[in-house]
Amino acid sequence: MIGDAVERSLRSPHVLISVSELLSNAAGSRMPDVQSDLLTDEIARRVVAACPTSALQINEAAGRTHLILNYGNCIGCSRCVAAGNGAFRYAESVARCGVRKEALIRRWDIQSRAEVVQDDSALSQAAEQIRSLVGRALNIRQVDAGSCNGCEGEIVALTNPYYDLERFGIHFVASPKHADMLLVTGPVTRNMAAALKHSYDAVPSPKLVVAVGACGCNGGIFGGSHAVVGPVDAVIPVDGYIPGCPPTPSMLLTGIVQVLSPYCRLRERRRS
Amino acid sequence: MNSTLPNSEAGVSRALDLLRTPNTRLVSIFGSIDENRARHVHYLIDVNGREYRMLSSPVTGPIPSATPITPSAAWYERELHDQYGIECVGHPDPRPLLFHENWPENVHPMIDDASHVPWAEGQHPFLKVQGDGVCEVPVGPIHAGIIEPGHFRFSVVGDTVLHLELRHFYTHKGTEKLFEHTPVMDGVMIAESVSGDNCFSHAVAYCQAIESAFGIAVPPRAQAIRLIGLELERMIAHIADVGALCGDVAFSVPAAYTARIKETLLRASTRFFGTRFWRGMAVPGGVTRDLSSAETCEFGKMVTAAARDFAQMARLILHTSSVQNRFESTGILTAEIARQLGIVGPVARASGIRLDVRCDHPSGRYRDINVDIPLYKYGDVLARARIRIDETAISMHLINETLKELPAGSVLVPAPHSGNAEALSAVESPRGELLYWVRIRDGKITRCHIKSPSFQNWPALPLAVPGNIIADFPLINKSFNLSYSGCDR
Repeated sequence: MIGDAVERSLRSPHVLISVSELLSNAAGSRMPDVQSDLLTDEIARRVVAACPTSALQINEAAGRTHLILNYGNCIGCSRCVAAGNGAFRYAESVARCGVRKEALIRRWDIQSRAEVVQDDSALSQAAEQIRSLVGRALNIRQVDAGSCNGCEGEIVALTNPYYDLERFGIHFVASPKHADMLLVTGPVTRNMAAALKHSYDAVPSPKLVVAVGACGCNGGIFGGSHAVVGPVDAVIPVDGYIPGCPPTPSMLLTGIVQVLSPYCRLRERRRS
Repeated sequence: MNSTLPNSEAGVSRALDLLRTPNTRLVSIFGSIDENRARHVHYLIDVNGREYRMLSSPVTGPIPSATPITPSAAWYERELHDQYGIECVGHPDPRPLLFHENWPENVHPMIDDASHVPWAEGQHPFLKVQGDGVCEVPVGPIHAGIIEPGHFRFSVVGDTVLHLELRHFYTHKGTEKLFEHTPVMDGVMIAESVSGDNCFSHAVAYCQAIESAFGIAVPPRAQAIRLIGLELERMIAHIADVGALCGDVAFSVPAAYTARIKETLLRASTRFFGTRFWRGMAVPGGVTRDLSSAETCEFGKMVTAAARDFAQMARLILHTSSVQNRFESTGILTAEIARQLGIVGPVARASGIRLDVRCDHPSGRYRDINVDIPLYKYGDVLARARIRIDETAISMHLINETLKELPAGSVLVPAPHSGNAEALSAVESPRGELLYWVRIRDGKITRCHIKSPSFQNWPALPLAVPGNIIADFPLINKSFNLSYSGCDR
């Protein structure tokens, strides 16, 4: 009956999602986005009061009022979407995956109703870079340092026939000694801190570390617990952060590619 | 722990007496403190499979252990000591459970200030198995796949496992303590992060406890949507488990195929509810998102198509001789042991124990319907796979029946933000009986105890493994499919 199972599988329709549809796509993540033109001082204060994790804050300086949205703290609870009177909606795309910790933060100037734009030039090149990755290999060792298993579920989903991470030459490996990158989830618990440090030490240099999820980025709702040490960067150095609770497979893929981007550029330059 | 004689409080004696009587099952033991910071112990006991009875008692010193009466008390009493410093005299294994050697012996976070706990050192005493040719194989906490952390210590002779000792709680996050001082409306976010793949079950169990505490009548339409979410979560979990079992016997085509079916259901959830795992859907008072009648029809079709696709693939899987060879008579958990350890969920039902919260202690929409409970008696990997395959079809049926008769009306009523109350709520999560007990003061949680099915079921795994070869361990472990985070909390 092995043949029957294989035949059934071969006859089933193709579900692979294209690279362009995947990158930055945040459908189902419940991360918020802001409609700048609808943003008012009143709405900003209301959403900040509604936010349970301080992902939204107001910063007043030099006569300007800024609304700050830190994706690294956001657990996608939707309260800002409910309280935002149309100015907050679910993000269709979140490009801030696999970026530096500061780049997880977006700001809007409330008086001028406009986003304070930062340099995002690297993001648009990601699609080109992932194509250039095809045929190369990246080995990832995933470490759960105390997660609730939500992020793991989405990381496992990366290997299903919709996302098929292996098509980019990216593999999950069993040992940190075989890995180029550690993909770390969870607030680091007291009981996992030593094991995480040992795994990091076992990865040969040069190595990359990506912190995954609200807990991995900033401790999430578990920050401050007596049994938790803190976010991943409280224990080992981190190169890129992927927000979300949990991040969707497309956000994870975007983040992994984003972290690789400086290395890809170097390689391209050397070639020419 | 020293061996001071316990001063038997009346409540403790009554609980132990009740546990000695037939047709009782220990559900949980947990502690709490009152306004005067005095400690209390609570025994939650299922009587005749129909009624949860809670017996409570103040605690001033050591209490007699319930473990000699029912081994299912063992981990609860170790947790009670770690959290509250309550000593259970006569416990056969009083080692710390939640805290590892990095935690100082005399700090009990539920009664002491645990904001700056110093780091300690030590060595965990594993049970030593000795004799000619006995080897020890340590595995974990970090495992080879994308799995949660935990430690397994095997003592083997050749390939055959003589003894397995678990060491868990690597993902212990002090979750029950985090609930303290949380406003009732915010607690649901913590509940959703207890066990990420069962987040909707946890959210519903928490919300039901709050609603029961305040006497909130949840609209029938919201109850129906909750049932759909709970059954969908069960389908997704069971489909993924069967696929992972195939993966563990190197049958990778159906493993990938079932992963695909699971993803179609997650994508359907995104399309109709805006969330892959139903996070944010349940709140005290109802649910946050409704379905239009066109969506109802479409969603039902997608669920049915996925369940039929899975059923046909499952039939091919079970008819494959190499799968039968690996699944049959592997990792047997006898009904006798399962009963003694108070095992719940699909693992219990695969060992011939008919336990299901949906029938025994129904809440919400489950009060109005009948749920078929499949039962297998062999307690091996095959029985646990079959239970999951059967239950997936039943869940699909429940979803379709509910969608057909979706009550009209709103899906959310306002919930009070203040007041004092206590309540208990139970849900049959994909892994089994899940309970939340909450105490509320001035609209804030002062104590939330989570009885998770994984905490209950993990101690049974080491008893299903001896006599099997070590290469079958991943398969046996997967067939239990217990949550580490849900257990460790």
